[in-house]
Amino acid sequence: MALDSVIVSPREGLGIATVLTRKGRRADLALRVRESLQIELPDGPHRAAAGEFAMIGTGPSAWLALQENGGNGFARALKAALGDAASISDQSAGYVVSRLSGSNVRDQLAKVVPVDLHARAFAVGDAVSTVAGHMNVILWRLEDEPEGSAVFEIAVFRSFAESLRHDLTVL
Amino acid sequence: MSYRLPGGALIDRQTPLTFRFDGKHYSGFRGDTLASALLASGVGLFGRSFKYHRPRGLLTAGSEEPNALVELRAGARREPNTRATVTELFAGLEAHSQNRWPSLACDMGAVSSLLSPLFVAGFYYKTFMWPAAFWEKVYEPAIRRAAGLGRASALPDPDTYERVHAFCDVLIVGAGPSGLAAALAAGRSGARVMVCEEDFILGGRLNGDRHEIDGMSGAAWAQQVESELASLPDVRILRRTSVFGVYDGNTFGAVERVSDHLPAPLPREPRQRLWKIVARQVVLASGAIERPVVFGGNDRPGVMLASAVRTYLNRFRVAAGKRVVIFTATDDGWKTALDLSDAGIAVQAVVDVRTEVAPELLACSKRLEIRVLLGSRVVETHGFQSLRGLTVLDARGHSERLQADALAVSGGWNPTLALTTHLGGRPRWGQDICAFVPGDLMRGMTVAGAARGALTLAEALSEGDQAGREAAEQAGFRAPLFVPGRADDERRAIAPFWYVPESKGKAFVDFQHDVTSADIALAAREGYRSVELLKRYTTLGMATDQGKTSNVNGLAILASLTDRPISEVGATVFRPPYAPVAIGAFAGRHRGKEFMPTRLTAGHLWAQERGATFVEVGLWLRAQWFAAPGETDWLQSVTREVKAVRSSVGVCDVSTLGKIDIQGPDAAAFLDFIYANTFSTLAIGKVRYGLMLREDGFVLDDGTSARLRQDHFLLSTTTVNAGKVMQHLEYALQILRPELDVQIVSVTEQWAQYAIAGPNSRRVLERLLGDSLDISAAAFPFLACAEFSWRGAPARLFRISFSGELAYELAVPATEGEAVLRALMEAGAEWGIVPYGTEALGVMRIEKGHVAGNELNGTTTAADLGLARMVSTRKECIGCVLLNRPGLLDPHRPALVGVKPVDRRARLHAGAHFLSHGAPVALNHDQGYLTSVAFSPMLGHWIGLGVLARGRDRTGERVRAFDPLRGSDTEVEVTSPVFFDPDGLRLQG
Repeated sequence: MALDSVIVSPREGLGIATVLTRKGRRADLALRVRESLQIELPDGPHRAAAGEFAMIGTGPSAWLALQENGGNGFARALKAALGDAASISDQSAGYVVSRLSGSNVRDQLAKVVPVDLHARAFAVGDAVSTVAGHMNVILWRLEDEPEGSAVFEIAVFRSFAESLRHDLTVL
Repeated sequence: MSYRLPGGALIDRQTPLTFRFDGKHYSGFRGDTLASALLASGVGLFGRSFKYHRPRGLLTAGSEEPNALVELRAGARREPNTRATVTELFAGLEAHSQNRWPSLACDMGAVSSLLSPLFVAGFYYKTFMWPAAFWEKVYEPAIRRAAGLGRASALPDPDTYERVHAFCDVLIVGAGPSGLAAALAAGRSGARVMVCEEDFILGGRLNGDRHEIDGMSGAAWAQQVESELASLPDVRILRRTSVFGVYDGNTFGAVERVSDHLPAPLPREPRQRLWKIVARQVVLASGAIERPVVFGGNDRPGVMLASAVRTYLNRFRVAAGKRVVIFTATDDGWKTALDLSDAGIAVQAVVDVRTEVAPELLACSKRLEIRVLLGSRVVETHGFQSLRGLTVLDARGHSERLQADALAVSGGWNPTLALTTHLGGRPRWGQDICAFVPGDLMRGMTVAGAARGALTLAEALSEGDQAGREAAEQAGFRAPLFVPGRADDERRAIAPFWYVPESKGKAFVDFQHDVTSADIALAAREGYRSVELLKRYTTLGMATDQGKTSNVNGLAILASLTDRPISEVGATVFRPPYAPVAIGAFAGRHRGKEFMPTRLTAGHLWAQERGATFVEVGLWLRAQWFAAPGETDWLQSVTREVKAVRSSVGVCDVSTLGKIDIQGPDAAAFLDFIYANTFSTLAIGKVRYGLMLREDGFVLDDGTSARLRQDHFLLSTTTVNAGKVMQHLEYALQILRPELDVQIVSVTEQWAQYAIAGPNSRRVLERLLGDSLDISAAAFPFLACAEFSWRGAPARLFRISFSGELAYELAVPATEGEAVLRALMEAGAEWGIVPYGTEALGVMRIEKGHVAGNELNGTTTAADLGLARMVSTRKECIGCVLLNRPGLLDPHRPALVGVKPVDRRARLHAGAHFLSHGAPVALNHDQGYLTSVAFSPMLGHWIGLGVLARGRDRTGERVRAFDPLRGSDTEVEVTSPVFFDPDGLRLQG
């Protein structure tokens, strides 16, 4: 289990917001998400993306919304787009998202995440809210690298980012 | 004298390894175990037994070894009770025998065997009864000194451990012939397969026996299968890995001894790796363990299991002796005679307890000129620290003494079924093999080969193949049909035979715990008919080997003594772990600083630069104080910080306080429900202090909540209670008030928040914020809040004060935190702004009589804390019913007070208890206690907050603050809890 083949690259500038549906407004929210982000709101723990936007199911009626380079203006814009169908909270600074790649990424993740990440069990677009060594994380799988190795992204609250980086690279 | 024979493919003669045992140098080869290398060098004596200090040698060649336990390595890596039989030899290995003094050959402890008539079953219970007072002072310390085996290193473990979460379709436990066949069948289907093998090479008995499969040697076949398995992408082979436990949810615990075969772990490699494996299907192919026969002197070094003799011979090319006798109740034992004879070792005799055996065996022995004694048994062994000979009693009752330096014993094979019992399965008696076989199995488990009692190689191969194929299909894969490996049939007849009643001398059942047949007989005479009680009374099977070689013999003897069939006596079950696991492997990397993660604030680096001393608050690191150059004492720094804040301005990182976004049309109604006071009346742009109760009426937490919009509140919690409050709110929302349309989410991490406090705080902020926000006293009064845009990012300002000074809290996205801190220091430079830590924060809140964690300790009510008026009676809230219990309304309850030492030079200690003057020092006179103390820089003496019975009525009274822990007894004066600026004028600046 060589560790050198795991690459952890922090994603800078992401706009991040939590999206929680208001009571009885799920269909409404799905419609607005479709219209404004061109995304089919995912059911369950999955990631759906279109262009610079992505929505990741993190719990019942809960999503993490992301925009490439959206920064801390994203939440405000999202609120304007989704209106009162959901409660939106800015988390652009709250989460640190890192991209994990390299030929050993699954073996290394297996040391910290109690989830089956095998290609058949955790497909591209699957997501999970879980723990990584006492830290709450949200993990999702992106398209494989062209040469075939898996790519994941992991979101953790900012104060834990250093501990998680340590767990993923040093250990 | 070397016992090594030529030939052999499983040891690497090109790589000789030197090592030391009890300080003496030896050498062996790569591929040896410590046991095989020592045996090859003529070492037969490995250790001393636990109770009687009897000389002991090797009984086995595997993980079931009860005797050959050594201390491996030295210093911090010294590990006691390491089985020499599974310790892979490495260059420079250092091992010591244990339980002997001064030396292995001359052990003073052996005198205890002279007292052996005393050390019978139940010895402790019977002997140390009287006088009762002696137990704690005399007996127990003496027993503890004598007890234990080996010495643990008391030094910190220098190695690291890790844990891995693994998932597979088919887990295969054991890579002997059936496990390999199963792995091949399952692996070829494309299923995800994990193979765990405790040995360092695959093959199991194929390596110890001379078998042929598909025309090649068994060992070669195993290697061929291994290379095919290695070529399959979804098959993982873990060697040196023991599956030690079965847990709910198809979860298996396994320990991989990653580095135990090396002098020290390689850089960045753990010593052991704990695998938590979740498997859809499991094939248990754990094989079987040969059992010894109980007869007089059966523990003498040189007496060995017949299969172990074959393993040393065939795998390691080591002869167990020069003249060997076989003592057997099985056909299997005869294999040892044939193997030895073929290797040119003199087999003195085969002593078989059966009066008739298969003619082929007799013909074979005749051809090899091996003497056969049928219907005979070994009653006694001779020699001292090694075997010299033995006495055989033949069918006609004649005794004969035979010369032998090794005795190979075969009593039959016990399936290794421990893993079938971990979830409650009970083994059942298999009459045909005279051993227990797996009973009911957990769902998803199949057992194949010897582990199921199918003891021939042909059966192992076909059962393994079938089990592997079926497991893969159960897991949803299509397993193609291949022709499994073919092997010839073997003879496997056995007579049920456990012990020799005519034995002379001690006949051992449990070698590791020194339990003899006489102990079992005594227990049976005393009425111990239940196996579970027998086990505990005699300690049979309770040693580190869990009775792998002894349990069945013990049960069989009990059965015969109590005239019951073994099936009726039943078996004890096994508990995890099946094999020893270092405690460190369970802890993994979670030790020391890595026990839990550390949370760092956005301004951590900045605080470090400013010389902060950090304190752990929950998982967070918070700056406790910032020592200025020249300051040597924390009190000096804290006092300076307080004075600077109270006289000008200071800044404190309060980012760690919990922040929860509460949104939705019913947000206000929800806050009214979870807070004791009312929030629905709070205007937009305003902040209110709130008190949260537990359902039982006691205070849970406090903090401020701000109304940002009609349907959006921001609730703050204390640092330590952030998680607990979030849980509480989730519970309230999901269970108690699910009808409310409210969404909650933690935004603690989004915002870095800084308190700017002191008479000059407004000036600093005005300079910092410029035109971004009007914070004049009129536009932004006490308890105002605002969201605004600043430096291209959203920002929030709250006018709240914990210090009692004119104060603000500025919140910015955490990504901006460090830059904003630096900007604050720059903007405040003109007014000498200081950073202050949690200590100064605490001092100032005590001066102001503000309650915090020390007072919100789960035993105080709102009324106790002088906050009764906050509890609204016009609405329902969590805790409002039980708050009115008579006990909580009792006017004699301790209530919050302030105290000052009468002698103003005296120091106070939190935790000191209040006693009235003249009252005896006794619990029933306890009047309350000091919760928080501080040296007040403003008052120039120590002050404290505490809870005192009827406290509010006792202002001016003097009581004792009595602290037996630190030996202080201070007279204090009861005051108002607000020591400084009682009218709150400073809040206005």
